[in-house]
Amino acid sequence: MNPPRMRGVFNLARRAKQGLPHVGLTPADVVHTENKWSLLRYRARPQGREPGRPIVLVPSLINRYYVLDLMPAKSFVEYLVDQGRDVYIIDWGTPTAEDRFITFDDVCDRVLRRAFRVAAKTSGSPDVHVLGYCLGGTLAAIHAAVRPERIASLTVLAAPVDFHDDGPLSRWTNTRSFDLDALVSATGLVPWPLMQAAFYMLRPTMILQKGVALADRAWNDEFLDGFLAIERWGNDNVSFPGECYKRYIERLYRDNALIADAFSLSGQRVRLSNIRCPVHAVTFGHDNIVPWRSAARLIDVVGTEDKTHLRLPGGHVGAVVSKKAKQRLWPELLGWWRARDGAEQPILIRREGR
Amino acid sequence: MNLWKTWKTAFDAWENNTAQMLDPIVRSRAVLEPAGFALSSAMKIKAMSDRITAAWWGSLGLPTKQDQERTLHKLNTLESRLLDLEEQLEDARGQ
Repeated sequence: MNPPRMRGVFNLARRAKQGLPHVGLTPADVVHTENKWSLLRYRARPQGREPGRPIVLVPSLINRYYVLDLMPAKSFVEYLVDQGRDVYIIDWGTPTAEDRFITFDDVCDRVLRRAFRVAAKTSGSPDVHVLGYCLGGTLAAIHAAVRPERIASLTVLAAPVDFHDDGPLSRWTNTRSFDLDALVSATGLVPWPLMQAAFYMLRPTMILQKGVALADRAWNDEFLDGFLAIERWGNDNVSFPGECYKRYIERLYRDNALIADAFSLSGQRVRLSNIRCPVHAVTFGHDNIVPWRSAARLIDVVGTEDKTHLRLPGGHVGAVVSKKAKQRLWPELLGWWRARDGAEQPILIRREGR
Repeated sequence: MNLWKTWKTAFDAWENNTAQMLDPIVRSRAVLEPAGFALSSAMKIKAMSDRITAAWWGSLGLPTKQDQERTLHKLNTLESRLLDLEEQLEDARGQ
């Protein structure tokens, strides 16, 4: 065995004793809690915050929020706080059996409305910048179309909007023999391992690929830290409240109702063309969970003139937490918000890769 | 190029080709329909056994698991509605 591989083996053995890596370390306070979800507000940097609206991050419902605050130097949240921004994030918590009855309206209307309200109130700002990641972006877009009051701008990262994208997940949910009612009535909360199995189906060789990548670069501490943190996050998912899941799959995946203006939130028709605030859609070219075209459709349908589509290389998760994200994506997002907070940078309307 | 690098290059090529070859297979109806059928059948059996257990339990006059879940959910909804009312009150005071 050559020296880097040997060092990799020792490194892995050493890390195995240390246990799982620590994640979500940026200091934060809980400013609101209700049922299982809570709203965290990150503490300001020592020199205080810069002027500007607060940023509320809406992560996916099935993943833990700390992907956006993975670990020091690999944390989008830490970056924003260091730049002086006032940052809030929704922690969806862990639903328990009684939460099977939570509806899509509960999550997308009531929880988001409350979160934006609390963030606006505690920060002293009339409205907030919203960033939704993956399903969190879809939720934020639906909310923004119906309840625009407290949303100053909407940023969505890899958020599916057009669900008939011919991706494997779209195909699976449209399988005739897949009985959604049976699944929800049997499980209550749709178990996350079941959803994760669907993600593994996207690339069945992924486990082997990860194993070999680990063996190849385990000698590199920085790689190992990032790899283990991502693996921890990837295997720490949240089960989906059944009622909410049913509507999500039935109306969005199967009927593609959002793009057809046929979806409703708390009885109100959702028209994405009603989104009039500045919109920033970020898509990733190698995203096999949310194909970039599915996410980019938002830009075609929103009613605002101030819209930006940024298409970057990379996958669904890596493109948000990698070293490259720190160099390109994070400064890009920050600059976009600063421009809309009245800073002197010009507002840029750009379309890339379309 | 050492032995590991040669092996890794070969592995990457194999992995990429295999993933590309498997992609249409995992998307095909021939795979998805039986998988959906197997999952749905297992879920229907579980739902049926849950219903039988709940019916037996209920016949003893005891609250079923779902009764308790429903009650807890109502309590959570009530808490949420109270917070809504507090907000409305706050807004009314502010006007």
